[in-house]
Amino acid sequence: MERSFAKEVQSLRKGDGELFEGEGILAVTKAALQAGVSYVGGYQGSPVSHLVDVLSDAKDIMDEYGVHLEICANEAGAAAMLGASIQYPIRGLVTWKSTVGTNVASDALSNLGSVGVKGGAVIVLGEDYGEGASIIQERSHAFAMKSTLWLVDPRPNLTTIVKMVEKSFELSEVSNQPVMLMLRILACHVQGRFTAKDNKHGEWSGNHKIKDPTYDLMKIALPPGTYDQEKHKWERRLPAAIDFIRKEKLNEVFAGDLDEVGIICQGGLYNTVLRSLDHVGLADLYGNSRVPIYCLNVTYPLVDDEITAFCAGKKHILVVEEGHPAYIENDVNVILRKADIQTKVHGKGPLPMAGQYTSDVVQTGIAKWIEEVKPTGADADTAHARVEYIGGLKTKAVGHLGNPVPGRPPTFCTGCPERPVFSAIKLMEKDVGKTHISCDIGCHTFSTLPPFNLGQTVLGYGLGLASSTGIAPNFDKRVISIMGDGGFWHNGLSTGVSSSLFNNNDSVLVIMKNGYTSATGWQWVPSTPKDGNFEESQMSMEDTLRGMGVKWMRKVRTYSVSKMVKTLAEAMTTAEKGLKVIIAESECMLAKQRRVKADRAAKLKAGKRATRERFGIDDDTCTGDHSCIRLSGCPSLTIKPNPDPLRTDPIAHVNTGCVGCGLCGEVAHAAILCPSFYKAEIIYNAGAFERLVARVRKAVIRPFMTREAIRLVEYQPGVIEEEAAARAA
Amino acid sequence: MAANQHERPVSIVIAAMGGEGGGVLTTWLVSAARKANLPVQATSVPGVAQRTGATTYYVEIVPKTYEELGDREPVMDLYPGPGDIDLMISTELLETGRALEKGFISPVRTTLIGSTHRVYTLAEKMAMGDARYDGDKILEAARQMAKRAILFDIERAARDTGSIMNAVILGAIAASDLMPISAEDFEQGIKDEGKAVESNLAGFRAGLAYARGEIVEMHPKPGAGRSTFRPEKSTEEFKARIERDYPATVHPVVMEGCGRVFDFQDAKYARLYLDRLDTIRAIDEGRGADGPAGGDFKLTNEVGRHLALRMTFEDIMRVAQLKTRASRFERVRGEVEAKPDQLVRVTEHFKPGPYELASVLPRGLGRRVAGWADKNPSKARKWHFGMHIRTDTVWGYTRVRMMAGMRKLRRIGYRYAEEQDLIEEWLDLVRDAAGIDRDFALEVAECARLIKGYSDTHKRGVGNYRKIVDSLIRPAIAAGKPVPAEVAKVRTAALADPEGESLSQALASLAEPDKPVSKSGASTQTKGEAAGDITAAAE
Repeated sequence: MERSFAKEVQSLRKGDGELFEGEGILAVTKAALQAGVSYVGGYQGSPVSHLVDVLSDAKDIMDEYGVHLEICANEAGAAAMLGASIQYPIRGLVTWKSTVGTNVASDALSNLGSVGVKGGAVIVLGEDYGEGASIIQERSHAFAMKSTLWLVDPRPNLTTIVKMVEKSFELSEVSNQPVMLMLRILACHVQGRFTAKDNKHGEWSGNHKIKDPTYDLMKIALPPGTYDQEKHKWERRLPAAIDFIRKEKLNEVFAGDLDEVGIICQGGLYNTVLRSLDHVGLADLYGNSRVPIYCLNVTYPLVDDEITAFCAGKKHILVVEEGHPAYIENDVNVILRKADIQTKVHGKGPLPMAGQYTSDVVQTGIAKWIEEVKPTGADADTAHARVEYIGGLKTKAVGHLGNPVPGRPPTFCTGCPERPVFSAIKLMEKDVGKTHISCDIGCHTFSTLPPFNLGQTVLGYGLGLASSTGIAPNFDKRVISIMGDGGFWHNGLSTGVSSSLFNNNDSVLVIMKNGYTSATGWQWVPSTPKDGNFEESQMSMEDTLRGMGVKWMRKVRTYSVSKMVKTLAEAMTTAEKGLKVIIAESECMLAKQRRVKADRAAKLKAGKRATRERFGIDDDTCTGDHSCIRLSGCPSLTIKPNPDPLRTDPIAHVNTGCVGCGLCGEVAHAAILCPSFYKAEIIYNAGAFERLVARVRKAVIRPFMTREAIRLVEYQPGVIEEEAAARAA
Repeated sequence: MAANQHERPVSIVIAAMGGEGGGVLTTWLVSAARKANLPVQATSVPGVAQRTGATTYYVEIVPKTYEELGDREPVMDLYPGPGDIDLMISTELLETGRALEKGFISPVRTTLIGSTHRVYTLAEKMAMGDARYDGDKILEAARQMAKRAILFDIERAARDTGSIMNAVILGAIAASDLMPISAEDFEQGIKDEGKAVESNLAGFRAGLAYARGEIVEMHPKPGAGRSTFRPEKSTEEFKARIERDYPATVHPVVMEGCGRVFDFQDAKYARLYLDRLDTIRAIDEGRGADGPAGGDFKLTNEVGRHLALRMTFEDIMRVAQLKTRASRFERVRGEVEAKPDQLVRVTEHFKPGPYELASVLPRGLGRRVAGWADKNPSKARKWHFGMHIRTDTVWGYTRVRMMAGMRKLRRIGYRYAEEQDLIEEWLDLVRDAAGIDRDFALEVAECARLIKGYSDTHKRGVGNYRKIVDSLIRPAIAAGKPVPAEVAKVRTAALADPEGESLSQALASLAEPDKPVSKSGASTQTKGEAAGDITAAAE
């Protein structure tokens, strides 16, 4: 794993009254232990990848409590795990990234939602929405509604998050339904504190096992049971949930003196709403607001009478609800009209329909709303001034800058083993021509961005090959599909490979075998190498493929660009029909570097010989065309001002971040670019003999060295600008 | 209910790039605040940007201890708000620009601690010419927009002190006096952590000193440090000739150019350079001191520059010559940061093919080989021979050194003849254009910039150059009509994409002026030597 929580997880042992300081996801784990959870599981994905990491690092503590941790094959597996709570009164918590993970989990979730649960079942959703998100922008709210799962959206402070995790288990049990608790990206990563409680042993767990199976036909999703289950949802489970929410005051009302208006917000947005009111002079830092706020820590189901009570007598309310469709706003409207309360509902309008509700968006929206409804006792001019102030800052800055600042899209890391594959595809295209490329989810999705711009579609995790089956027979060249090893084990194996073989499809599949689900922080997969050795991985992808009946399979080291180009060309043109699989193998460079660097440091410490490789570019032979960059995009292959006084275009340059993967040289070679690249091996603690050889070589070469450059006058070294001295004075 | 809007947390945004350790800095701030018993909240937006993209961290610290607050519980925001940031930290110049765009830098409240160094974006790097963002504009805007701007090359300060950027930044933060945490407390935090204490303290103190204005940074201008040179007896002849015939304004370029050509071949070739340039100088002189642009030797200067580059074309002999000098091996050692006691092995990557072979063959034979390669590009690509040569070994060095030695035979080769024809043709065009209009001539001269690189890159450059000459410049000269703007436009288009689509479109749109050009918006915003700026820490 990229990040270790070995130190932090010790705080999971804290007991009653102790102060817990740490990150949001760690607090969630602590809350689960406090709630007496018996099993946990999940599938990694931002922003809850670290939750999976924390759970793994906390294995010892989990074992003490007999809590089983399952690193699930995918989100469907994680959701299915909650099946344990259907027949037995044991508590379970699983996690994944939403909405994509929820999509994958849907099959199990629908069944779970229909039959209901006995033990508390909680799903922590990492809501990957807005800035920093890597997926399609959708709401988890729709899943809650369609499968009757309760949706908790706590205020983003650790005390509330922890309390709501605990309450979610209770809510799940009293209403016999699973509960989803969503945490936005920033809340997952938030550093804060709360007062801990003792951890609890689950009633049943690895330490105290269930002896007899329970049989209850009503808990099987088969007709006629399903008809009863559907009725049961509305007649019993929903009212039970609403009663619990009301009784436990899970939603909070914050009173304020401006009675004729009010704000209804999702819990996760509360802090931003409050700060926005502060900016227009209507609240302070300590949670005192002049505008009454009804904060929904549970956004589904809504509690009708709480809403009517809050709105009664108000002229205007504003619903602050992130994303679309505006389910809450629409429901509030219906609830009020049914109760014949004529409060005007605002929401989408002053606030935008789509996009993340950042501070900027919320404060602008609230200020506009205040300006519009002009509540008695509030100063609408302050609101107006605030909007002007923010807008003015941006306009002024843009004016000074002139041109928009170029973006910094994500790309493959320095030395990434996947980059060379796309360099090879680019080069292969020169001879074979361009073809359709069906991409997948993973670091390799970056191939769709500059400098490669390769890939026509991305349909979902592990679906690279499956998404090529419609276009392949309709395209005049063989199409290429990409899949990572993460995607392969997640579902590409069945959805893509077996289906392709079954249908005798004729296409090319490139599997990126780097050993980890790297994009989420290199969690392990079944074929993860042991200490960098792929031969010793737990499961073999090659054997699996062979066993399934793949006939044409080649394994190529990704950095061997020329060989990869040849292999790709062969796969594209061979007379052999059927699925052709190229396994592009090389370990994730981040994982490898961590090992290599530690190795080298140990060797150096022991005074042993060690080497380091790096690439470089000769300043005076580079002509500044940057072809090499267009075929690589490596962060350490960059540019610098041209030191040649006669030239103006910046030249290519390899910075100190270079890990010596060798791609520069390979590409320059395979693409016949230029002779400017050189490889340097730096040798630490060289032996006496090696030193002697080097000295002899030098002595022999020196008299024959090419003479230094002829110049008419010495080039003036840099002038220290006098302005600096002046300013200092 | 008295809403007290004056009490607010100290809001800190850290704009970093993935992998720079912005998270570590955040952790330090959080620990310092916790130690001081101040309420603190921090969060981050890494997302997929954890790799190399822009990464933002946001910290709020309430400047009152928990004791002072009693049972009041502050509500802290997770999002940085525009106009609301007390301390803006950006670890790279462009990120300061991004913070400005977002409205995070306000003259009312923002102290900006920003590094002036550049980490270029892919868009800037992959352009065929120069697409660097103008860093001076960001610096200017930052100074205008921030309440206080502490701008210096933080990366360099870290390198100079053997430290990391975070330590230097923490020093600058301590100097900003925005929080009730003293410099000593911050120092103590570094000591308590116990990791790389010495170097981190050195970095911390450097940051403190920069921010307090005790150190003022001074940068040499880019291009400095190239000082190896070898005056020869005959070089004096050229020096004297240039001093006699050319105005002082063009001396730097012409001296450098003439020397370069001499170094490339011999004195005879250097003489040819000056003879050629004399004809251009005559044009500049001919305009007389009183006429339009009189006394201005810009054309001489620009042609002098390009002529030197065109005459020192990069054939294998030239590359071998440049790669076998003692100073080059020194430079390599510096570049890869090798310590004096470490050995360095250097492997060169060569892959000569038909064109390289042709360039050393006699003219007739060479032309046939090159002609074959032109006609059969994919076959020609297969006739390249990859060579990995270790130039730190005797045999490897000897092979490359021999290639360098072959430059004595260069004049009988095919490439030399080809290049001379191309140069003469270009000079003719410049002279003809100058007869019509000086600006036109300048633009024609600038087209030499298109020819650069090796093998396919070189071929593409020559091809683009020819296209522009044949379809725009020659017809314009024949018609006696100056078209400087048009030449500049198509040249920019030629550098917009390697496939030549923009160029074809640009040329087509000139032929049919009504048709809009869809892709010629390739902005070649020049100059971005931000790191070359001088920034004082003083307010």
